[in-house]
Order: sequence, then structure tokens, then C-alpha cells
Amino acid sequence: MGANSEDEESSKTYIEALVVRDFSSIASNWRSAESAHEYLERHGVPVIWDVDTRALVRHLRDAGALRGVLATDGTPAEQLIAEARALPLMAGQDLASRVTTAKKYDWTQGSVALIKPLAAAAGAGLLSAGRAGKSAAAAKAKAALAPDEGRRYRVVAYDFGIKQNILRLLADHACSVTVVPAKTSAEDVLALKPDGVFISNGPGDPEPVTYAIANIRKLLGRVPIFGICLGHQLCGLALGGRTFKLKFGHHGSNHPVKNLLTGKVEITAQNHGFCVDPDSLPASDVEVTHINLNDFTNEGLRHRSLPLFSVQYHPEASPGPHDARYLRRPLPVR
Amino acid sequence: MPKRTDIKKILIIGSGPIIIGQACEFDYSGTQACKALRAEGYQVVLVNSNPATIMTDPETADRTYIEPLSREYLEAIIAIERPDAVLPTVGGQTGLNLAVELAETGVLETYGVKLIGASLRAIKIAEDRLLFKDACRKIGLEVPASAVVTNIPEAITLADELGYPVVIRPSFTLGGTGGSIAYNREEFSDLISRALDASPVHQALIEESVIGWKEFELEVMRDVRDNFVVICSIENVDPMGIHTGDSITVAPAQTLTDKEYQRMRDAAAAIIREVGVETGGSNIQFAVDPETGRMTVIEMNPRVSRSSALASKATGFPIAKIAAKLAVGMTLDEIPNDITRKTPSCFEPTIDYVVAKIPKFQFEKFPGSESTLTTQMKSVGEVMAIGRTFQEALCKAIRALEPSTAWRPPAEVNTALLREKLHVPGPDRLHWLFEALERGMTREEVCDLTRIDPWFIRQMEEMVALDQRVAASSLETVSRELLLEAKRSGASDEELAKLWNVSSADIRARRHEFGVRPVFKRVDTCAAEFESFTPYLYSTYEDEDESAAVDRPKIVILGSGPNRIGQGIEFDYCCCHAAFALKEDGFETIMVNCNPETVSTDYDTSDRLYFEPLTLEDVLAILDREKPQGVIVQFGGQTPLNLALALKSNGAKIVGTDPESIDLAEDRRRFGRLLDELKIPQPRNATALAPDEAVRAAKEIGLPVLVRPSYVLGGRAMVIAYDLKTVEDYVIQAAQIGTTSDPKRPILIDQFLEDATEVDVDALADGEDVVIAGIMEHIEEAGIHSGDSSCVLPAVTLKPAVLEQIRSYTSRLARALNVVGLMNVQYAIQRDTVYVLEVNPRASRTIPYVSKATGVPLAKVAARLMTGRKLKDLHLPVIETNGVKELAVRDFYAVKSPVFPFNKFRGVDTILGPEMRSTGEVMGVSSTFGLAFAKAQLAAGQRLPLEGTVFISVNDHDKRHVASVAKELATAGLKIIATRGTATALTRAGIEVEGVYKVNEGRPNIVDLIKTGKVHLVINTPLGRESFYDEKSIRRAAIRYNVPCITTLSAASAAARGIRAMAGHAPDVAALQDLHRRKSAALP
Repeated sequence: MGANSEDEESSKTYIEALVVRDFSSIASNWRSAESAHEYLERHGVPVIWDVDTRALVRHLRDAGALRGVLATDGTPAEQLIAEARALPLMAGQDLASRVTTAKKYDWTQGSVALIKPLAAAAGAGLLSAGRAGKSAAAAKAKAALAPDEGRRYRVVAYDFGIKQNILRLLADHACSVTVVPAKTSAEDVLALKPDGVFISNGPGDPEPVTYAIANIRKLLGRVPIFGICLGHQLCGLALGGRTFKLKFGHHGSNHPVKNLLTGKVEITAQNHGFCVDPDSLPASDVEVTHINLNDFTNEGLRHRSLPLFSVQYHPEASPGPHDARYLRRPLPVR
Repeated sequence: MPKRTDIKKILIIGSGPIIIGQACEFDYSGTQACKALRAEGYQVVLVNSNPATIMTDPETADRTYIEPLSREYLEAIIAIERPDAVLPTVGGQTGLNLAVELAETGVLETYGVKLIGASLRAIKIAEDRLLFKDACRKIGLEVPASAVVTNIPEAITLADELGYPVVIRPSFTLGGTGGSIAYNREEFSDLISRALDASPVHQALIEESVIGWKEFELEVMRDVRDNFVVICSIENVDPMGIHTGDSITVAPAQTLTDKEYQRMRDAAAAIIREVGVETGGSNIQFAVDPETGRMTVIEMNPRVSRSSALASKATGFPIAKIAAKLAVGMTLDEIPNDITRKTPSCFEPTIDYVVAKIPKFQFEKFPGSESTLTTQMKSVGEVMAIGRTFQEALCKAIRALEPSTAWRPPAEVNTALLREKLHVPGPDRLHWLFEALERGMTREEVCDLTRIDPWFIRQMEEMVALDQRVAASSLETVSRELLLEAKRSGASDEELAKLWNVSSADIRARRHEFGVRPVFKRVDTCAAEFESFTPYLYSTYEDEDESAAVDRPKIVILGSGPNRIGQGIEFDYCCCHAAFALKEDGFETIMVNCNPETVSTDYDTSDRLYFEPLTLEDVLAILDREKPQGVIVQFGGQTPLNLALALKSNGAKIVGTDPESIDLAEDRRRFGRLLDELKIPQPRNATALAPDEAVRAAKEIGLPVLVRPSYVLGGRAMVIAYDLKTVEDYVIQAAQIGTTSDPKRPILIDQFLEDATEVDVDALADGEDVVIAGIMEHIEEAGIHSGDSSCVLPAVTLKPAVLEQIRSYTSRLARALNVVGLMNVQYAIQRDTVYVLEVNPRASRTIPYVSKATGVPLAKVAARLMTGRKLKDLHLPVIETNGVKELAVRDFYAVKSPVFPFNKFRGVDTILGPEMRSTGEVMGVSSTFGLAFAKAQLAAGQRLPLEGTVFISVNDHDKRHVASVAKELATAGLKIIATRGTATALTRAGIEVEGVYKVNEGRPNIVDLIKTGKVHLVINTPLGRESFYDEKSIRRAAIRYNVPCITTLSAASAAARGIRAMAGHAPDVAALQDLHRRKSAALP
């Protein structure tokens, strides 16, 4: 299929290498601008193919997530193993601060025409309360919850490694987004007078990202908060919960997640190695809204009285199925 | 949501006989549905006319009716069984259409039967192209511009507006029957008239052509909670314009980005919701413009389908089973995934391999038919193969097709012809494609001609390039790396052997020397993310092997490969039964097969499933890994039998009848000697290599003779020659296509026994004892292929002395051939002399039918005999006469009738002959022969008229006997019309008859009468060449206007008895479970 700029999710690639069974040397797609090979070469990502990747997956399934080294220079295996062992573990590292934007910027671009929502988009909303006086269906048909004709919401998005599709969808939903660096203080965020704050996804362990946890605590109750993935874990920690490392994480685009509020299952895209322990959350304040049907881990929560909700999976799903695109919550118009 | 408690008894409607577009996949889905619903505590009533199915086994459902799939019979069953609900979505288009009819005629309402799985409204929207298009447009999806037409002038006006080419799709037909593409107005006016005729509602859709666009299918499921999942995406390698059943397809989709795929997924979800399929599986097809990405919706099937069977096998997700559970109100998240056990069925399978499907065509069986592939399905079967890459999967599928080496066009073919072969899709296009690439045609040109996506062509280019590198090497000089690379890309030992001009055994030896052996990986729905508990395996050349073979007594059962005429579901039935019986006996059962439509390739059928091509190389690799106690080759038809000797010489233990005996029975000379020794008569016969030799032999034998090749290649048919010229021509023609160049494959010439009655006998033997399972009398006389003849059990007209002779011969043959397991013998009885025509020491096509008629599961018994058990210990209900044991027959008649695909092959004559052309069969059961025959005819789609007009035209030979048939028909109240000769014969016999013109005699002629609905039954026996055109047009007209047409006098006689029996008779139905409890009848 090759690569095209429309489908990019960040300004550069973050994978360090690609391991595949079969790597197609050509691209055949009307949207393709360059082949996968050209794209990865341009970004300096090494690819190794003809590998028994299924054996590798089975190994990781049993051994858990591992550190690895890719080499073509004939270095002896023992030395490579030693090098891999010397790599830092993901747990305990603040990776978000390494990938966040250096300075704040505004985002206005919406989705490409190809994936504009269908007229009858799927499902009812998580929080089905539509705006007063408008039927849920009418709101759906508009495919956006605009505050008023012409006015856009102001959303501040914390970047811990944000996927651009989240920004595109926020833009689709009549939001003017300002993306801010990971360490921006709660005060500076509030100074931007946002209608809502978005806590982004990002790599690694949430626990060491202490500054973010502190900022969420300060923002809680003062502005509506929505978190995805790492953002969800940070919300969980800010609300007094704990996180733990999964054996081999959740990766891929077919994770069944049950919405406990509706009883419906959505097929979701996921990419995380850490998880919120639902038992650690204060039940009086926090409600578990979603669970994973494969291993029953936590997939979503909301605060019982304050405007905060977050999900572990990627509702923006790019790549992945769009089942969870309904996740939106009307913001109070000020 | 918990399952429904307001329903206790559920009726499942099967899909009837195997026809093109509706094959074993519905036995697979129906069987799964029965099992799933019974496991949930529901009572299941099943109706299907096809005895060769696992679903009609008395153990599969609580109540099983092998009855015609027509409204009146269904109503009779409903009246007796009083089911609470009917599940219409697992029996193909036949089951769905019948359920709609039952709903619309008020039958369901009268008896308070609910439709589950799909509502009438949803079925209507999905099936009515216009309503479906409206539904799609309403939710913002694009569909090709189109219009529905009901008459020709209106159609032509609209087609002119749409512009040519234009697609024509008749409404409510299955497998796209009557569908076509018209490239200009002349073609259009012809094709539209045919399409309107094909539609039961005389309606067709004409549509903007999206020919050449990329074609995709999504297999989706939805439950009552509105949970929606995609089970599998399928991409057609062949672009739009070729029916998906006739296309090479691949799963998962290979050329869509995530965004494009998700757009399709969103559309599928929106469609299933809008159409209102509340529960179950659906198949939705899309076309994508390769230039712009414009996506249009093509169609949807609101039921399980051939594609869903493929998707189930491709992913390990059992769509029909889950659909049945969803239909009773369960939700996806509460049904566990069988394979992982720990995770729910509410997920989307991940595929870490590539699946390729290639259709199997048999145009050679239908001379005169148009072999261009269009929107009407014409393939008779398919193979599926699994590999870790597209190239590997494609190669494996090609060799699974049989013959296992790819056919290559002759070198002298010029480029112009090559271009045409690429541009006009035919059954062999894939081979022409490789030829073109080998000759260096550019990828651009190939893509341009075929409209196949460049990605696929590039893959094929790489395969060709690798072949060329391999060819430059040799068995001696090849490096391990190159050999491994070739194997990884899917090359078979046989292909490599051809490239290097050595034997496959040499390649295998070299491979083993290098340690290049396949490993087996699992199909587990989740790309190894979770542990799998079902050993569903495929081979590939990689590092890790997951077969985890266990050390316990095990038996490998070799399946029958792709469905084809003469080798179909009957053999899959036998293989499944072997697995069931041996599992019960404590063996680990291991199935090998490559046909995705079947029950045998359900991971539930055997303990372990290897989805692999049935070639020596692939089977040996499995045996190498499993080291079984035995291999069963006699249940899968010719495919595994062809491997038997080679497997044995490679050290495999073939259980049951020794392959040498099987070989002996196929060797005419040795077998002839055996018959002489046993003093059993056979027709005089000879072999010949040259025309003069053949003529001499024919003279010695005496005319008429049956002439045929010893090895059927490219569909060279058998012929019955009444003169020496025909014999000579036949041999000359055979020599021209090279079939006689091999002295080991001479032309076979047999005495043809005219007016003989043919008899099929199945028998069981254990090396000591013999039990005759059934003596079936054919309705059609000898000379008609046994698979194309109707037959009845017990025999109706055979004299006791003849039966005695048959029993004795059968028993002697089984002992002489040392048969362990099953044996089938074909006899011809001419003037009370019993001749042996053929002996096959293996499972025959009639095994499931005889099993249903006798209540004894023959294949199960045979499997037990093959693994060492004895007949005397199995306590079969036998009757012994003069020392020969025979299974007791019950006090009813079971008639088996064939079903033909003539409506799919325009221009083909429908007369029966020595070459088999039927695709499937039905069974009719009743207490009289006439009624059983009439029911079988009805089930086969020939509704015998109880009133109206019969047209009779018979050859001179038959004129001697036609009077009795005509008299019986006249007594039944039918008016008789006949052409001159026949009319004279009838008048002379004192039968009232009206004359009618032949086609070339004037008008209105007989064809005019057929067209205008004035004839209700045609009895036309072939006259010979001189009036060929005339007859053929009569028979074609009968097919086209759906008038039952009988081409032999013996069948006409049976029909006459049937008509008389039917008159004034309400449909009589009986459950198999009750029939098998009925008392046995005394043997004559």
C-alpha cells in the first residue's frame, strides 16, 4: 500500500525498527505517495524481513515484553544479548518528556475526506445526554457538537506523544486545539481559558510522569478533562489509583472492550504496556466504565461528580476500527 | 443476553442438492447450526432433500426429514412437528427463498412459527436489489447506478441511457444464474430476455458497469445487542465482472490501507443495521475504483454463504455455529471462542498468514458451453490453501487443484492469443498469466489486459523470477539457501523436479539432506496472542513447529479435495464418518483436506486438521510429523487413491484394502483374468492404440461398443459407438490431443450391453466376512453413467435368481480382492445374465444414500473394519440367504435422483450418456416406488405434472416400448402429444394422441408450445445425429422454460408410475428416525 502524508500520525517515526515476515517491495494504491521501503528509509528505520514472526510472538506471549537489539554487522549473539540486557527497562522511565513538543502550537486540520463519518454513524453516545432541545439523532447527523453556529470550543491538549488523528477528530468536533508541552503547568493551561483539557496518549510507564499527575489533580473540577491511553493511566493515578505493567501489553486493532454503561462491545485499537488497577481506585469517586473482554483489565473510567473521563484504548483508532468514535461529551457553553 | 426460552423446537431448512453456486458449504453451516442449537438445549427439526450430507445423518438433528424442499412438503412437516421457530439463514438461497415463501403464503402464521436469524423485512431488503440500493443511498453510501426492468423495450431504453457495457442481474436467482454483461445493444437484447426468464418474478436489474474495479468482501456478524464484528476481509484477485465464486480470492485483503479498510468496515456496519439483519452473519461486497478509490456497495447476503464458509476456514471463527447461537438471542460476548477457550467470540480474528482460494472449473464436461467467466458462477468447486505469504498460499492452492502441477500453455501460442487469454477471463487465466510473465510481458501490459491489481502481478513476477533462478541451477549445484527460498515461496517438489528434469523423490531426498523440511503452524484466530487448543494446522517453511504431535494411536484420513463432478460431498461424508467412528473407538483422528466448503475441514470434525493440498509431498510431510498407525485412502474418492501406492512405497501403512488390490481392480487385463478365474461374466473388451487396431477390436467384440480413454484427460468423453466410423474417428481424435501416445494409456473398447438394467452394489468386508449393504437398481438403462442415473433401493424389477447371482458375485469378488472396508460393484443385467462392469474396492458415491436408506452408517462400519474390528462383532442387522449376508432393507423405497447444472451452461445438450455431468443428488422416500420416484424428481427440481399435456418423441428403438408408458400417462389423465413417428406408433397401440410439428416442420412447433407453457412434461429419447438440432432445441427449451424433461424411456416409465401414485395424494412425509425404526422387509 505504501505511505502517504494524510495517514501520518506524528511528525516523525518513533519505532526504532520493523520486523516482518514479508515486506512488499511495491506499493499499489491510489493514495500511495511512496513505497513503505522509501518511507522507512527516509525516516532511518531499519527493516528486517523473512523472520518467523509468529515464533517471535509466541515467545513474547510466554516470556512477556522483552528488550531487543537488531544487528546486521556480524556481532556475536552473546554480545548482542548483553547489549539488549544493558538497555533500560521501560518501567520507571519518563518517556513522555522525550517525545513531547518543544513548544505549544495550534491545530485546526480535520480528517481527510476519505473517512468522513457516514450519515448514520454507529451507536449511541457514551454519555447519551445530548444537548437540550436536540435529539441525539440530530446531533449525530451533524457529526459534531458545535457549541453554536460559528463558535468553536477551545481545547488544550497535553502532548505526551499525541497521535495526530486525535487532533483531527477534535477539529472535526468543532474544537480549536492548542497543543502544549508535557510539562506545561496547570496554571498556564488554565490561563488559556480552555473549555476542556485533553490528556494525550504516550509511551511507557505513567508512574514517573509525576508532573502530569500533579497537574491533572490541579485541573480536576476546574475544567472538563478527557484522557486517552497514557492519559487515562495518568488520570487513574491522579484520582488516587495505581498502575501496573502487563505481561506483554495490549497491541493491535481487535481488542473487545465492553462499555459497562450500555452493555455493548466495541472493537478497539490498543497500544499500551501499563494498566490502571481498578481495585485501587476510590469507588466512591470513580466509576469503571469499560473493561477488556480478553483479560478483564480496566479500559475506561469516569469521575462520579466531576467532569473527567478517560479510556485506555484509542477511540480515534488510526489505525483501527471506528467503533468507539462516539466518545464525546458535550462541553458546557460559557 | 440469555438465550430465548419462548422457543423450544427449531426447524432448519437445508439447501438441497449440490448445484453450482450451492455446495457442501451449506452442509457445513447446517450441521454446525444443528449442533450449536442442540448444545444449547433446543430440539432441532431438519429438512433437506440431499442424502449425501452430514446434516441429514439421524444423529445430527432430533428429527430429520429427507423430503423435497417445496412449500407443500414443508407445510406437511410443520404440521406434524409444530416447531416454534424456523432458522432460514443456514440453508443457502434455497433455504432462504423457501422460508420467505412459507412466510408469505401464511404457513408460518397458521402454525405460529417465528422466523429467527433474519426478519422477512430484512431478507426482502437485502435480496431485492432495488430496496437494497435505496437502503445504501439512504445511509450515504454509493451504489452503481441502476434500474429494475420487467420488459425488454423498457430495458433497452434504460441500458442505452446507462451506456455499455452494462451488467444484467436477474432478481431472486442464486449463484448469479442468468446474470451477464452486455457490451452492446445487440448482445443486450439477447441477454436481457434470458435474464428475465431466469428470474422467478420476471424481473432484472440493469446496472452501471464497475467491471475492472477492485472487488472486496467483508464477512460480518451482529447480535441482538447490536454488537458488530468483522470476521474476515476477502479481496478478489480477479476484478469486478467475474462472479466471486469464480474468482481467485485472498484473505485478508492485501491492497487496502487501514483508513480504506475502516471506511469499508463502517459501511458494512451501517448496512447491516439499516437492512435490519438483527442477528447472524452477512456477506457484503464492495467495489473500489483503483484510480480514485471511489467505493460502491455491490450486494449483501443476509445469511451464511460460500464466502462465510471460506472465512470460517480462513480464520478459525465458526460463523454458522455462532450465527445459530445469536439467532436464539445470545450475544457475541457470552459465547466463548472455541480455539482460545479464554476469550469471547466478540472480537475480530487476526490472520498472521495468507489464504488463497482458487475455483475449480469443469467446462470440458459440457462441450459447447461458453467458458468465459462472467457474473454467473460456473465453477463446480474450490480449493483453499494457507501460507505465510501470498506467494506461498497461491502456489499451494495451485497444486491443491489437481492435477497438481500447473498447466502451461504450449510454446507455439502467439502473443495475440496470449493477450486475448489475459483479456477475456477463462478458467485457465492464471496459467496464461504466468506464461505471459515468463515471456517477459511487462507488468503494465498484464495489468492493463487483466485489470488485476499490480500488487498481485508483481508477486507473480517475483515467482517467475525465482523460478528462472532455480532453473539456472540444478539438483547437484543448488545451494541450501536457494532451495529453501524456493520452498518458502511455495514451489512444490514436483515443480522443482520439472525445472531440473529429475524426479520429485530426488528433490525430496535433496531437501532432507539439507534439512529443508516444512513446519506446521496453527490457525488460531488471534495470530498467536493467546494459546490455542484446537490443532488446526498448515505447513510452511519457517523455524518453529507448533504441531505438538502426541504419541497415541492415531489414524490419518485423506479427504477428497475440491468438489468436482463425480467426486463431491459423498466422499467428504465418508471421511467425516471415518473420523467420527475412529474417535469413538479411541483413536486420535487426523484429517487432511483442502476444500474449504466441507464438514471435514471443520476443526470440530476430527481431533487434528491439516488444511493442506492432497499431494504426495504434502501428505508425506504430515505423516513424517505425525507417524500415525494407519492412513485411510479409500474414503476420499480418486484423489487419495491416486496417492495410495506411492504412500505405501514410502513406508506409509495404508489401512483397509491393500493398494495393490485397488490397483488390480483398475488394471483391465489383470482384473479380466481374475473375473475369468471366478467365472464371473463381463462385457467383451479390448484395448487399442491405433485407429485400425480399434476398428478390428470393435468388429471382434461386436457393435455397439463403448469407447473411452483409460485415463480421463481434459474431459475426453466416453462414447457409445453404433458404427465403426465412430470408433475410428474417436481414436484419431484422441491421438491428435495426445492421449494415446502413451502405450500405458490405450483406448478402451467394451461391448455395450443394450437395453441392460444397471445395478450398483455396495458391500462391506473385513477380509473374512462380507455383508452386502445395498443392491440398487438403476432407473436409466446401462450406458448412462451411474452417477447420472436415478436408482432405487430395494430393487424393484430384479428377479430373485438375478439377485441371488449378484449377491454371490459380490461376495466372491470381495473375498478375491481381499477387501477390508467398502467395495462397490456395477453390474449390467441383460436377458437375465449378470455382467460385471466395474469393481471399485473403495467408498462409492452411493454410500451416504445407502446409509440413509438402511439406517446403517456404512462408512463408520468400514472405518472400524479397516482398523481391525470384525463384522461379526459389530452386530449389523443382516439377513442371510444361501450363505451370503445382506443388510436388512426396510419396508419403504428410497429413490436417489441426480441434479444437473444444464441451466448454467447455455447451449449444452441435456441428454445423458456415459460421462457423468450431474453435480448433486436428492433422495425421495415413500412406501411405493412410484411415489418415491416422483418425490425424488420433485426434489431434483422436476415437478411431474398431475394434469396437462405430455409431449412424447422417442427413437425407433424405444417405439416398441413407448405404448405402455403412454397408456399409463393417459390413464392418469394427461393429454398426449407426439411428433409424427411416435404418434403413429401410439395410435397403432390404440392410444389417443395429437400430432405436433417438429421444429423444422412448420409452426406452431413443439418448441413454440413449450415456450408458451402448453407442455408440462417432455419425454424425448435421443434419435441420433440426423435430428440432433431439432432434439437439442426441444430439450434446451424445456430447461429454459422449466418444463421437466425426461430423456430415457425407463425414467419415463418410472415417472408415469409416479404421476399415478401422486394423483390425489397429499404429501406424505416421514422422519428418518421413524423410518429407521420401521420393520425390515423380507428379501425377495
